[in-house]
Amino acid sequence: MKHLFYIAILLILPAMANCQQIAFAVDQNPHYKESQDKYLKIADSLTKSHSTTIQQTYKAYDWYEAKLERKRQDREWLHQERMNRKYITNYYPDYNPYNNYYSNPWRREYHRFWW
Amino acid sequence: MLFKKLLTIAVAAITLTFVSSCSRTVTRVDPTEQIDISGNWNNTDSRQVAEEMTTTILNAHWLTDHLSEKAGKKPVVIVGFVQNKSHEHIEAETFVKDVERAFVQTEKVRLVQGGKKREELRGEKADQQTNSSISTMKKFGLENGADYILQGSINSIVDALNKKKVVYYQVNLELTNIETNEVVWVGEKKIAKYIKN
Repeated sequence: MKHLFYIAILLILPAMANCQQIAFAVDQNPHYKESQDKYLKIADSLTKSHSTTIQQTYKAYDWYEAKLERKRQDREWLHQERMNRKYITNYYPDYNPYNNYYSNPWRREYHRFWW
Repeated sequence: MLFKKLLTIAVAAITLTFVSSCSRTVTRVDPTEQIDISGNWNNTDSRQVAEEMTTTILNAHWLTDHLSEKAGKKPVVIVGFVQNKSHEHIEAETFVKDVERAFVQTEKVRLVQGGKKREELRGEKADQQTNSSISTMKKFGLENGADYILQGSINSIVDALNKKKVVYYQVNLELTNIETNEVVWVGEKKIAKYIKN
């Protein structure tokens, strides 16, 4: 008698569990678990932006602003150039053997025979 | 004496010019007022598209056909993407939102959320499965499935020579039956502009 009772319980319990699993709401999608499991994993990342403003802006072209920006950039470049002028050295010296002070025919004293 | 007077006037004029060139004035204007500055896509174009689309989509045959087929059940629409193939940055949301608003306000069409907003909704629902009380927890698998999807495209043609330019925009919105893939409505707005520098 006791054995029969246990067997009955063993048979009924899985059946009850199965019934609970398929207890859908009216018109509920039978595959809802797939979606639920998928979103349960990523729920935190999807809800962390609640009550915040997602900034998805773009820079609109403004002719006047662009002109001011160009001017500012030009001024900065000029300033940089002036600052760096003292560091600029001639890395490629002129190898022309005639291009020196005494061989320059345009030198004022070049055609003079004596001085 | 005369020189002093002239000098004062000159200084005043220069100061006035300098101040007026540096100052910026902002005036609120009516959003329906047409103000064209650069000739690019602006709020007037967006408004014209919105007006055209909202009036035609709600008075087209697809709506009456759907209501007669489905025994008076309102159609459910989801908004898909709008492809901008023009030469400019154009935000389609400005006129698509007007169409959505017309759906909701007239109560002729039901609207369901799509895209990132839908993802956020599902994320919230998933969060409720483990954090909300049973009586307030929203279930999965009970969303409204859309009957139709609204998609669109923006195209442009530019013809320019020297200081003259003609810009033509064509905005199309299409409504497609999701089950049958049948296009039930196509909305169109054409805008042409002549710009002379």
